[in-house]
Amino acid sequence: MELLLQQIFNGIMFGSTYAIVALGLTLVMGILSIPNFAHGHLYMLGGYITFFFISATGLGFWLSMLLSVITLGLIGVLMERMVYRPLTDQPHINAFIAAIGALLFLEALALVVWGPQGLRIPNPYPQNIQFLGITMGLQRLLVIGGAAVLILCLHLFMKKTLMGTTIEAVAQNREGAMLNGINVNRVSAITFGISSATAAIAASFLSPIFMLSPSMGAILGMKAFIIVILGGMGSIPGAILGGYILGLIEALGGGYVSAAYKDVFAFGALIVILSFKPTGIFGKKEA
Amino acid sequence: MFTKPFHYNLLYLLLLVAALLLPFYVPDAYIFQIVIMSFLFAIATSSMNLIIGFAGQASLAHGAFFGIGAYGVAIMTKAGLSFWLALPLAALISAGIGAVIGIPSLRTRGHYFAIVTLCFGVILWIVAGNWIQLTGGHNGIFGIPLPSSIPIPFLGEIDFYSQTAQYYLALTFLLLTLFVLHRLIYSMFGLTFMAMRNNEPLADAVGIDPFTTKLMAFVIANFIAGMAGGIYASIIGAVSPSAASHLMTFNFLIYVILGGIATLSGSVIGAFAIPIIMELLQFLGDYRMLIFGALLVVVIIYFPQGFVGGLRQLNQKVVAWRQPKQTEGANVSR
Amino acid sequence: MTRRSKLFPTGLLVALLAWGMLCTGALAAEIVIGFTGPLSGPGAGYGRDNANGLKMAADDINKAGGITVKGKKYTFKVEALDDMIDPSAAVNNARRLVSRSGARIIYNPVFNTIAPLMQINEQRGSEFLLMAYSSTPKIEEIKNESTVSIPPPFTAYVQAFSDIAWEKGWRKAAMVVTLGAYGDEWRETFKHYWTEKGGQVVADKPANYYTETDFSSQLSAALATNPEFLLIGGPSEPTGLVIEQARNLGFKGGFMLVDQAKMDYIANVVFKGDLSVMQNVIGINAVRNLPAQIVADFTKRYEDTYKVHVTFEAALNYSSMFIIADAMQAAGTVDDPKAIKAAFAKVLPQSGDKVPTPYQGILTQKLLVDGAVGVIDKGAYQKGYQYVWWPKDEAAFNKSKETLAVSPNIDVRWLPVKGYLQN
Repeated sequence: MELLLQQIFNGIMFGSTYAIVALGLTLVMGILSIPNFAHGHLYMLGGYITFFFISATGLGFWLSMLLSVITLGLIGVLMERMVYRPLTDQPHINAFIAAIGALLFLEALALVVWGPQGLRIPNPYPQNIQFLGITMGLQRLLVIGGAAVLILCLHLFMKKTLMGTTIEAVAQNREGAMLNGINVNRVSAITFGISSATAAIAASFLSPIFMLSPSMGAILGMKAFIIVILGGMGSIPGAILGGYILGLIEALGGGYVSAAYKDVFAFGALIVILSFKPTGIFGKKEA
Repeated sequence: MFTKPFHYNLLYLLLLVAALLLPFYVPDAYIFQIVIMSFLFAIATSSMNLIIGFAGQASLAHGAFFGIGAYGVAIMTKAGLSFWLALPLAALISAGIGAVIGIPSLRTRGHYFAIVTLCFGVILWIVAGNWIQLTGGHNGIFGIPLPSSIPIPFLGEIDFYSQTAQYYLALTFLLLTLFVLHRLIYSMFGLTFMAMRNNEPLADAVGIDPFTTKLMAFVIANFIAGMAGGIYASIIGAVSPSAASHLMTFNFLIYVILGGIATLSGSVIGAFAIPIIMELLQFLGDYRMLIFGALLVVVIIYFPQGFVGGLRQLNQKVVAWRQPKQTEGANVSR
Repeated sequence: MTRRSKLFPTGLLVALLAWGMLCTGALAAEIVIGFTGPLSGPGAGYGRDNANGLKMAADDINKAGGITVKGKKYTFKVEALDDMIDPSAAVNNARRLVSRSGARIIYNPVFNTIAPLMQINEQRGSEFLLMAYSSTPKIEEIKNESTVSIPPPFTAYVQAFSDIAWEKGWRKAAMVVTLGAYGDEWRETFKHYWTEKGGQVVADKPANYYTETDFSSQLSAALATNPEFLLIGGPSEPTGLVIEQARNLGFKGGFMLVDQAKMDYIANVVFKGDLSVMQNVIGINAVRNLPAQIVADFTKRYEDTYKVHVTFEAALNYSSMFIIADAMQAAGTVDDPKAIKAAFAKVLPQSGDKVPTPYQGILTQKLLVDGAVGVIDKGAYQKGYQYVWWPKDEAAFNKSKETLAVSPNIDVRWLPVKGYLQN
């Protein structure tokens, strides 16, 4: 029983990260139809930038995180402008190739600047809490709580602010939004910025308990991609739910069934679900 | 589109002669090796082009089918089967698994199809790494025999120890693949692929069954990918999960798109140009992937149709400059 | 007619240019030692450790005046190429090193790429000596006379670690080892050896150390079986994370690290020198604790030059380069791989005032070096062990002790490796 609870806790923690990262990706994929396969690598870069601010400037964890989020947001805007916008009118597969180019570039950049060794950010909250027989690291609880707050903020932003509703309008009908005088390019840039900033938040929360390495984003990026498709492209509740489901499948599958085939469960679940619902759980019928 | 001008054929003839004579003027074993590998990758890339470029389905499991062929030949030849029997069998297995996977995944479209096939690819890759009894786990299978010698009456036999023999083996299979694909694409059957890619509802309305057509393209493409993998395994002599990984798929994809999607020559050019560029960039050391990544982005932005498309664009500009009045119909079918 | 007339010459020009660039590349005046391995991607740190050891050895040999073969002076140059553990890239690199740079010795540190290289290194006209940094016995399943393996067999470590754990009174093991060729073999061998000894393996929950950073799901499952110690390990950094996460989950027992993970690296880099988390750890000894006289100097210079923590890979590769330099002089040739390899036996054993890990001899295609085992307990490095695994009997063991570098802090033990020396 304790083991089960512990695994559920682990699963929720995984799921929180997946949810944040997938959330950022679903915005970009749903609204801009950009298959941003480099999203996981933006997450990696976010972690390194937080590390940079902590180690080079001596700023505290929270301030460094804030700076990193801003920096990555700007990098996101830049990336949309330089890599994806010129490809707007081309087939999606070309944007996918550009994404592969971008991720190779980012990974090589991290390797050149910070080297291949794993780097650590000192854990600001190393304490542990015992509860119902399960052990919970404070930083891990922070990841879960932080994800929940972030999801709430993003929800309020999308529903209550003009910018948020504009983004949604563009997602629903790009041409229509354009006819209504919305500057679609500006919306694209802002969306990309927000998406990258959320990746930096996820990376900053996690890097004190994990380790930074240039290739850390590859698998996460792929999983986020899968979650987005699983939930339905562009669907925010889909990304959140998909993230938590994947986290739980992995923790329980890896803990109870087979650790070696852990990822097979996650990827297999996607195939099964898409076989029954070809456009994802919350997906709209594709035109 | 169907009939080509004379000098076009002359160009291909020259290329063929150049390819046939290559062992006589190749400067060293290093370049020879790159050429042999590029031939094998060109086979896989051309078949990926069939499913992506001509049938319009972005399959991201291609590396996995290449891997199935490689493991198939590795396992069967290690068990004592002749390469010449193992190769078609491995390709058939690849096609068979392709059919099994294609039936559920072809129900999805666009991004969804891409991701479902990517997931299949990743699963096969994980299985290759963990099914130790069959695949040798992450160590893979090594000591795979070279293709068995072909006896030729009165002349002795052809063995495959030398690079020259391996080269002709790869070349033969590449020419065979290109011939078959060419016949296929310019047949009625190939036209149905393209009709479906360009307008599926319309194709459906005129009596083309989109599902069966896509499935056929998928199965044929995977058969050829498996064959390429099988030859690869035999020539390299060792297979590990990396031969079936999604990175392999991404490489093929880059070759297809940068070479020129939906053109037969594009795939071959892509499979040659990219590995050669990668080798040329070796001198950059740590900065190699940095530059390569940036290059990929720049090329796709400025040459969205790949090398072949780029040359066509250039050509059209020249024509337009020479004959400003004449409007040249684009040869690009998208 | 105009459509093609411009296209063809342009294409031809581009092709010719590319061809021309490919074909240039002069033969260097010095002896080129080739290296192909992962310099980017997940294995980059490991690949670079290997390459750095070679580069430093070449620099040191050159500084001492290079080598003289048949009256002619030579210096060394290490040419390191990246293969990202892709077999076809490794083969391309090897071909390039042989035909462009004239390399006759090529190093490679991963079995997945060593196997395909063993297919081509005896091809007539482009022979090279393959220096394989891989401790798997699988290498010996491929018949090849031009391959030499550099590290001690990992089976020696399995047995040495198990013996020490047994002496400590540990009986119940749980495994959270990395997935991958290396981890799979370790798990299998350890399980076999430990149960044969009478111990118990209560859980086997492998995790992919290369792609994952959170191991709490596997650890929770493993710790639920109440083991006395955990067999863990993969690359050093994630192994450190596993130790930390296990301690955070309340685990008080010991750790046994597979030999890919380095306890000093984990202590110094992951925990910033704090040994308190590393309580009760058995693993491969810290390089700086090795007995050879040169070790302190070697470690300091290495870390100053490459700005990374010293590892066993660097030390063993460094030492092996000196064998090559000596063997070339002894054989009187710099470009006959078979003759160079044949001269290995003449120049061994090495001495501890020249190299950090002196090699003691060669057995068909395997260089002989003792396995160094270290223990961290009570906040400090405890007495270490040197396991001499190749002597067939007591007498041979006593004889080998004469040439071995020794130190009062280290116990020398004889450990005939099972299933390894029948031939």
